[in-house]
Order: sequence, then C-alpha cells, then structure tokens
Amino acid sequence: MIILLLLLSFPLFAQAPKLEQEKELDVVDFKNVKDVLKKDGLLEEAKKKQTEVKKIQELRVKSNRELYNWPGEDEFWFFASEYWLVKEVSVLKWDIDKPDYGLDKSLAQLLKQVGLARKKFRIMGMNSNHPAHLGMAWMSDEYCLLFSIPFVRSMDLSKLEISLLLLQDMLRVDEGWLKESIRPENLKNLIGTNFEGKKPDLSPVFQVAKNYRSFINEKGFSFQQQFEITKKMNLLLKSQPDLWNAYVRLLGKMDRLVKSQNAFADYVKIYPSPEMQIRWLAPEEKAL
Amino acid sequence: MKWLLRLCCLNFFLCLNLYAQEVVFLSTFLGHVHQSPSRLSPSLTTIQCGHPVKVIKDPNVLVSEDWERVQVADWKGFVWKKHLSPSKPDCLQGRFPKFVDALNLDLTELYYWGRLNDHWEEGRAEP
Repeated sequence: MIILLLLLSFPLFAQAPKLEQEKELDVVDFKNVKDVLKKDGLLEEAKKKQTEVKKIQELRVKSNRELYNWPGEDEFWFFASEYWLVKEVSVLKWDIDKPDYGLDKSLAQLLKQVGLARKKFRIMGMNSNHPAHLGMAWMSDEYCLLFSIPFVRSMDLSKLEISLLLLQDMLRVDEGWLKESIRPENLKNLIGTNFEGKKPDLSPVFQVAKNYRSFINEKGFSFQQQFEITKKMNLLLKSQPDLWNAYVRLLGKMDRLVKSQNAFADYVKIYPSPEMQIRWLAPEEKAL
Repeated sequence: MKWLLRLCCLNFFLCLNLYAQEVVFLSTFLGHVHQSPSRLSPSLTTIQCGHPVKVIKDPNVLVSEDWERVQVADWKGFVWKKHLSPSKPDCLQGRFPKFVDALNLDLTELYYWGRLNDHWEEGRAEP
C-alpha cells in the first residue's frame, strides 16, 4: 500500500514548479532555445536574412563582373569612330572656328519633306578637303555626318544643297556599306563579352582608325553602290521637282569642281563619280 | 532697431535666393567648362559624363539662355545647357568603366574628345 502511494505521488513531485536554476538551464539548453526561436518566428527571419544576404552577394559579384563588360555593337562604333576623330584632329581639322550653317534645321526640314521623320543626326564641319563628306559608322539610332567646309565653300553650296549631300550619306549609312568595309575581323567575337581577370582586347578600336584611313584614301564606295544610292535619291526626290532639280544641280557643281580643282581630285576615289551619277539620273531615251 | 533687424533678415534671404546653387550633371561622354559662354572659348577644365556641377545664379553675370554658369571644384565657368542633365545620366563610362580605363587616353586626347562635343550640331526631324 505504501509503495502504491509512493508510486502515485511521484508524478506530483515531477510537476512541482521549477527552480530558478532549472529555468536558467532551460534557457542554456539549445534545444529549448530552438523551440523559443521557432515560436517567435525568428528562425524564419534568420532564413530570410540569409537569403537576402546571398542575393546581395550575388548581385555584388554580378555588378563587379559587369564592370569588365566589352561594349555592345552600338557603343563600340561610338567609341571607335570618336576615337578616330580625336586621333585625326590635326588631319581632319575639325577643331576650328566655323560659321553656323544652321544645318541642323535645314537637314531636319529636308528629312521631313521627303518623309524621313524621327531621324536623329549630328553634323560636324571640318577644315580639311578630304573626305569631302562622310556618314560615319555610328550607333543605330542616330546618324553621324561630317562635311568639308572648303568643299562646300568652293562650290558655294546652299543650305539645301549641303543637306542633300548629307541625305545621300544617310542613305549610305542605312545600307551599312562603310561599317561592313571597316569592321575588324575579330569584332564579332568580342562584342558584349566579359574580360574579367584579363586585359581587354582593344585592337578593334585601333583597327577601325586604320580602316577609316584606308577607306577614305584607297577603297571608297564602288560604282555599283553609287548607282544604287543615286537611284534611291531619285526615288526619294522625284515627286518634288524643286528638290530633284537641286540634287542634279549639286551633282553638276561637284562634277565641275572635281574636274577643275586638284585639291578635290581625290573625291572620286571615295565617291565615283558625279558625272556618272548625272547620267544615271537622266531620263532614258526611248527608241523610236 | 526693429527696422534694422528686418532689413538684415531681408538682405539675408535675398542673398540666399540670388546665390542659390543647384547641382546638375554633365551628360556627354566628355566636356569642357569654358572660360566664357562660347563653344570656342578656352577650356578651364575637362570633365566627364556624370560629373556634378553647381549652377551659379548670379544676377550680376548675364548669360545667354543656351549656357549655364557653373562651378566645378575651384573653377567658375560656363557649360552648354544642352550638355547638362538635372539627374545623373546613364554614362558609357559608368557602363564600361574598365574598357574606358583601358583606352588609356592621355590629357590631349581627353581634351579633344571633350572638344568634339563642342562641335557637334545635333538635330532631329520631327514629324
């Protein structure tokens, strides 16, 4: 009976209030701490923090890697073409005091007249004879156009005539002939790549500068390309006789200039040839 | 005594207003702070895209509406308004910093690259 009583009273002893020391021990017991943390949702919070930290670390690694990106196609042509202009400043002589021709407005007006609205462009006059004008290899959403001030002065060109000259260059840019002609061979392997941990290959930038020179002095555009551009200009302007006549007048002036002045004799090396262009524009003779 | 105090306060607020400085940023790849408000005037210093410049509104200096009088470090000069942006622009130097560093441009090249932006006539054919 006594044993039975003892056995029955044992659980009562077990449920007696805990001592202070026992409570402290519970706190130190990591199993209980874990339970408390679970109850408070702190474990989940810690997990969230861990994921956040991981994400931030990944982003940091990614943005650090992005510092070493090789430019994309558009940015490359900006760097390469402007680099060429900077390197050739003494040859092209663009850093000079020049009159304000107001070409930004007259070219915009011409583009609107021929239905080529929303085109962005930048123009710069140079004090060198060569190249007489050029639509540079540039970003796809903008045209970058150069023209020689002595060239337009020698012919006493009007704003409209200069604008027509630049419009021709814009059509050439659309065809992408210059870009393809001066494009370095290894460019496609570098565009948009990453060079983290190694030296960037800048050879295409320097190569483009060389290629510009050889294009202007040797290669130029072909007769076929000139024929295509002349036909495009014809199509674009034929509905507006005043513009078409101004274009023919411009070609006539250029033809006379390149034949009469040695300073511009190299013009036909790049743009063959104003004389042929006038012929291509002439109406076909019908056989009777 | 009261009127003197009022006058001082008025002067103080007027000065605050007149010489208020706003910060804007260069938006071209490289550019110049010019000595006078002309694209051909000598360059005081070359700055790069994203560089913050303080606009100085000084009623004693008349500036054409195309130009902004600015302060960059100790230089006080003029920058073409077209080349300034009220918020930090998306610069090529920021997107390809190591590539631009590797070009290793010397001072003359930096100068002329900035000058290029003084010479471009930009336009757009609006419909």
